[in-house]
Amino acid sequence: MDDNKKNRIGPETFFSDWMKISMKFWESTASMWSGFNTTGESKPDSAQDEKTSRIQRSWESTQKTLKAWSQVVSEPETIEALFEGAGIFPDFFLKIVQTGLNRFVHLQQQWLQRAGKVQESTKSYTFENIDEDTIKVWTKLYETELRKIFNIPQLGLTRFYQEKMIRSVDKFNLFQSSLTEFLRMLSLPMEKSLQILQEKLTEMADKGNLPEDSKSYYQMWIKILEGHYMTLFQSSEYTKTLNKTLHSMSEFSEAKKELLQDTLLYMLPVPTQKEMDELYKEIYLLKKRIKELEKR
Amino acid sequence: MAQPKISVDLILSKLAEEAEKAGESAQKASDVLLEPLETDIAVTPYDVVYEEDRVKLKHYKPTVDVQLKRPLLVVYALINRETMLDLQPGRSVVQNFLQDGIDVYMIDWGYPARKDKYLTIDDHVNGYMDNIVNFILDKHNLDKIHLMGICMGGTFCVIYSALHPEKIKTLVTTVTPTNFDTDQGLLHIWMRDMDTDHIVDTYGNIPGDIMNLGFLLLNPARLMIDKYVGFIENMANKKFVENFVRMEKWIFDSPDVPGETFRQFIRDCYQKNLLIQSKMEVGGKRVDLKKITMPLLNYYGKYDHLVPPEACELLTSRVGSKDVEDICLDTGHIGIYVSSKCQREFAPRIARWLKERDEDKKKHKTKKTTRKKRAPKKTPKKATSSLKRKKDT
Repeated sequence: MDDNKKNRIGPETFFSDWMKISMKFWESTASMWSGFNTTGESKPDSAQDEKTSRIQRSWESTQKTLKAWSQVVSEPETIEALFEGAGIFPDFFLKIVQTGLNRFVHLQQQWLQRAGKVQESTKSYTFENIDEDTIKVWTKLYETELRKIFNIPQLGLTRFYQEKMIRSVDKFNLFQSSLTEFLRMLSLPMEKSLQILQEKLTEMADKGNLPEDSKSYYQMWIKILEGHYMTLFQSSEYTKTLNKTLHSMSEFSEAKKELLQDTLLYMLPVPTQKEMDELYKEIYLLKKRIKELEKR
Repeated sequence: MAQPKISVDLILSKLAEEAEKAGESAQKASDVLLEPLETDIAVTPYDVVYEEDRVKLKHYKPTVDVQLKRPLLVVYALINRETMLDLQPGRSVVQNFLQDGIDVYMIDWGYPARKDKYLTIDDHVNGYMDNIVNFILDKHNLDKIHLMGICMGGTFCVIYSALHPEKIKTLVTTVTPTNFDTDQGLLHIWMRDMDTDHIVDTYGNIPGDIMNLGFLLLNPARLMIDKYVGFIENMANKKFVENFVRMEKWIFDSPDVPGETFRQFIRDCYQKNLLIQSKMEVGGKRVDLKKITMPLLNYYGKYDHLVPPEACELLTSRVGSKDVEDICLDTGHIGIYVSSKCQREFAPRIARWLKERDEDKKKHKTKKTTRKKRAPKKTPKKATSSLKRKKDT
């Protein structure tokens, strides 16, 4: 039985040989390294020497551990035990893979549900007015679904910095979407006025009373444009969009300021705006108090 | 052969003619723009006689003998600069006042820095303004002076006159908002729901450029397009270019507004309309308009899209004075000070009015309203007519 085992070239033998070769490789590398260090041309000073010997000692220690571990592992008994136990590996693997797969499928389902919600939230928009609706759909999509990603709690030592950075990106996205909506609104009178001008010109051409000089066309257009702007500016939609844009711009400015102030500027030897504001307030209150006292 | 409906040949020949003219004009424009231009503003000589923090008091050098016993203190708004009253020789309210024998002082609010963000209306009115008034009173050994306010500066003057009536001989308010509950002006509509606290907390002081952008958006067709089309058309005219550049210099010279002052102005005035109801509090004291017992002259513009007539005209009926007068000019917010037509009327009339009231002898008991042509109705309404008219500046 033992002879059979010895003569057999199975995975155990292969593994054992491979371990031995690897061990020899690392052994020779280690000796080369120590040889290199001891045959240096110039003799290093004592501090350098100590540093080198520390590195060398650490390297040798790693080598020893590796050698000992390799020896143990390459013993035929260990390898045999290892391979005998390998029969139960597929069960482990199956369990791990199954759990992972289940989690993955579950996560995917969650994401699909979220995507479904996106569809739900945008169902009312029919994309008839593609430019207007695209902005609205994107804003809603961002605000209700995509934004959640930015709210995932940050972990670890750099959590604070990550939070500031992510907040700033989030506020920038919100500002961009409200600004786009605001600019779209501002472009509406321009678009409509040109449309109306064309209709007017067609009508005038039909009647045969088109103006002869180009300035009349301009005057006609600018009057229509002005009228459209006035109508837009008095609408509650405009005021709402304007306030939303101003609000998101302030939020973004604040987030940007926090990012710069609390993370970047904080590391520099200069006072932050927050610190200066505190100082200004103190000066302001002191001055006011002095003036009151002087008046008495 | 039948006559064509549209005389295309005429249109095309006109177009060719215009193209030729434009080419010639462009050549001349290039000459004008490349030669030295006189675009300095605020050139009337003055001395800075008082300084406190960023605030300066300008005292203009008289050009003729001073005819009034009491000097006139002009208070400009915190938005834009007082240089508008002295844009150029021949188009300067200050110069006109000097020629009429008025001793003119004017407050230069300067450029608020971040440290000024805590300054409130109280600090401006009961602080800087009161110190300046006291300085002038001491200098001239007087008990009262004449006070004139422009726009927001007028609102400050109204508040000051109500809180310190004993120091003011007469009050002149020009394009001064006191009633903010109106839909006539877009600013009044826009400010109503503005989250002022958030904006002030974020920016500290309100950036002048943001406010300027807001003003441009009041009428983008005229202020962002038509104005510059007009400039291109008149680029060959040196005088026009110089005047245009002067105006541009003034318009875009916008100091930031101290945050706390802006907060209170928007909240108490635009959103709660407390001033006209005599409910506003400044420095812990109620601003009671009935305490304005000195003569009051109230100027405003019929086509003012920033401070519409409805925002100005209620004041005379709410003050305690019997000697009040409303004058509504056929002009806009800035035109009242810079248009050549108003130049002939505005300053000389104020000078006359002041002269009549400078001494303590005469008693004036007038309560009248002078309007050029058709004046807007006094009763508040949802009218928007003034918004549809173009800015006359």
